[in-house]
Amino acid sequence: MNYSLDILSEWDEKICKLAKGHNLDWFEIAYETLDYFSMIGAMSYHGLPTHFDHWSYGKTFEQTIHRYNLGMEGLPYELIINSDPSIAYLMRENPLYLQILIMAHCVGHSDFFKNNRMFKNTRPETVVPRFRAAKKRIQSYIENPNIGIDAVEDVIDSCHAIQFQTTKYGQVRRSHSEIKAEYVELINNDKDGEYKGFDINKIPLEPDFDILGFISEHGKMPDWKRDIIDVCRDEGQYFWPQIQTKVMNEGWASYWHYTMCHELDLPDEMHLPFIKMHNQVVRPHVGAINPYHLGFHLFQKIKERHGIEECFLARESCHDAAFIRQYLTEEDCVDLNLFTYSSKRREGVTVDDVSDEIGWEEVKRDLVKQVGGGSIPAVYVEDVRKNGTLIVRHEHDGRDLELQHSNQVVKHIKTLWSGEVTFYTMIEGEVWEI
Amino acid sequence: MSIFKEHKTVADRSASDRRRHKQKIEKAIREGIHHIVADESIIGQDGKKKFRIPVRGIKEYKFVYGTNNGNKQVGSAPGKDVKRGQKISDNQQQGGGNPQKASDEKGEEFYDVEITLEELAEYLFAELQLPDLQKRQLANITSEKLKRKGYRTDGILPRLDRKKSAISRIKRMKAAGFDKDEAKEDETFPFHEEDLKFRHFKATPKPCSNAVIFFIMDVSGSMSQDKKFLARSFYFLLYQFLRMKYESIDIVFISHSTEAQEVEEKEFFTVGTSGGTIASSALMLTNDIIEKRYHPSSWNIYVFQTSDGDNFNSDNEKFLKEARKIIDVSQLYGYCEIEPDSYYNNEKLYFVLQPLVGPNMKTVRIVEQANVWPAFQTLMGGKTA
Repeated sequence: MNYSLDILSEWDEKICKLAKGHNLDWFEIAYETLDYFSMIGAMSYHGLPTHFDHWSYGKTFEQTIHRYNLGMEGLPYELIINSDPSIAYLMRENPLYLQILIMAHCVGHSDFFKNNRMFKNTRPETVVPRFRAAKKRIQSYIENPNIGIDAVEDVIDSCHAIQFQTTKYGQVRRSHSEIKAEYVELINNDKDGEYKGFDINKIPLEPDFDILGFISEHGKMPDWKRDIIDVCRDEGQYFWPQIQTKVMNEGWASYWHYTMCHELDLPDEMHLPFIKMHNQVVRPHVGAINPYHLGFHLFQKIKERHGIEECFLARESCHDAAFIRQYLTEEDCVDLNLFTYSSKRREGVTVDDVSDEIGWEEVKRDLVKQVGGGSIPAVYVEDVRKNGTLIVRHEHDGRDLELQHSNQVVKHIKTLWSGEVTFYTMIEGEVWEI
Repeated sequence: MSIFKEHKTVADRSASDRRRHKQKIEKAIREGIHHIVADESIIGQDGKKKFRIPVRGIKEYKFVYGTNNGNKQVGSAPGKDVKRGQKISDNQQQGGGNPQKASDEKGEEFYDVEITLEELAEYLFAELQLPDLQKRQLANITSEKLKRKGYRTDGILPRLDRKKSAISRIKRMKAAGFDKDEAKEDETFPFHEEDLKFRHFKATPKPCSNAVIFFIMDVSGSMSQDKKFLARSFYFLLYQFLRMKYESIDIVFISHSTEAQEVEEKEFFTVGTSGGTIASSALMLTNDIIEKRYHPSSWNIYVFQTSDGDNFNSDNEKFLKEARKIIDVSQLYGYCEIEPDSYYNNEKLYFVLQPLVGPNMKTVRIVEQANVWPAFQTLMGGKTA
């Protein structure tokens, strides 16, 4: 690093001033400088400095550093977490122009965390201490001779398998008794006989997509196990909005680093590499969707078509699926040359639809399906049978599940439920039971 | 205005999670051992030879959509010409690089781990808790070996330790207050007998580190390639284990149908099979070789026999007689019956041998690859089958 923290601070001051002028509203950012080894360490724990230990993070570390050493993969240039203040990491190996780009980018992310409504229940002001407390408790279970690391790992392994099986839009979970009270009320005021024959003793009363939440509420288990389930559920809930808004979040941050870095009047020796780097970040990935590319493109187009206020409105109220549904036009589909493809038993992988007059809407529909956590199948608890068997069902939307994985995940659910679990899905149009 | 600071260096944050992950991989290596034993002639290889083995990754499962035409992916390709029906690739193969068929299964992660045979053996046996039987069986033949044991004031000249001796002279000199610079020209301070220090050696009993292993295999017509493959996996483990325990190991390969002969390793595993079975012939040859070349007073003798258990009934009595002879002279006589078809028949040698089972006679059965490791544990770990 051939520049001091003071230099970074000077540039930061300029960026903050510009950002305020654009009405961005972000958490204070706490930048930490580190080397690439620590960066990979931080990344492995999703940037959370107080994250609990689990072997899977060791695996992530090994894989990342292995690919990095082979030169297969650069490191992400920025890493910022949804906390107040927002902790962001700056790799010492980065040249100054890149740090400036990253700082401008981070302001965009932090603004997004603070204002997008999906993040409303993530409690960013408590995330660091609450993970620290969880880490301590989990460590105490590991050290407890009656529990031990193997039992703790088994539970965490299983929780991770269904961590993102949750309600779509981060609604706060309502307890069974709350929901029940509502139904009792409805039944008592039921003049049209709509709830005639409604089984008020059923568990759950409504399909429950928050599987960890359900198991924690209704499962029989020792306190330590419930605690770990709650910790992992909290972790999932905390990260879920980031999965749902990946395209928007990266698009928004890229839009602002691009805008502000132009306004900063960088000297040529920094401006040229900056432009090069920016183009690298938002380049299309042929055959895939680069969220930076798609998000950046859309925010630019929204500004052109509807003005900057519309951009702020989208950043506040949308998640990726809604964002694309609302703003992606035929023109964009053609510009980005979006197409769909799938794997067919005989022909191999072939193109299904392209973005021409007939095809673009279909392509858009499939894109909406896949973004923002759409590649995570929706699965819900349907019932608990008299004998205690948990009935879990996949909400089939035309896409069949991969069965080998499903079999393993069902085993994990059994581990958590401590009882029998039956899982239903559809394979090639037929009901499939695991 | 933002805050800037140096990242607080948590001493290698992920170290313990990496270690834990490594343990899991090592477990996977142990479980994936059969991939290695399928390799060519490895039994006689020296320990430095490296093997690349595919290890099933520690996969974390989640609900995912499968690759099928119901699951359409969206891609972008600005500036490129994309047409409906255009072929992009053959059906996606995941996990690549693995020669085993498992690579076709979606979502399998494979690590290619390169390890030497020695490391492999360590992986294999590190966690194997060996009960007393093992200790008794290894190392009960001893020879004497000289070992350094301190210093003495008398001894033969070749064992004189010059440095120690000089030091003790200097000590005495200082104590006497003799100063070379102040001393008169003809005044010296000679060595005294007590100054001399000799290295002392003591004879200690040392376990004999020679072993001979007899690998006996039935190559009669009923031993299919499958069965021979299992036999080989089994022999591989035994060889690796004993190799770790002894400085030098002789291996004798004996194959037999109705007649027994001593063969080379390569031949042992590749030669075609035919004919009926007279199992006693192999044991007779073994006893013969022991008598001529490997006297039990100076060799640790291990005899392992694999067979599919078929034998001419008329031969059983003779077979038992020879078996008893072997049990008398060997550390361990292990009999392993291989029956991939799970064929159950109480005329098999496994049942014939049961009366002989004792501390240094074990019988195991292997039906499939997964049984090889437990069978090995039974043989070397002293558990009953």
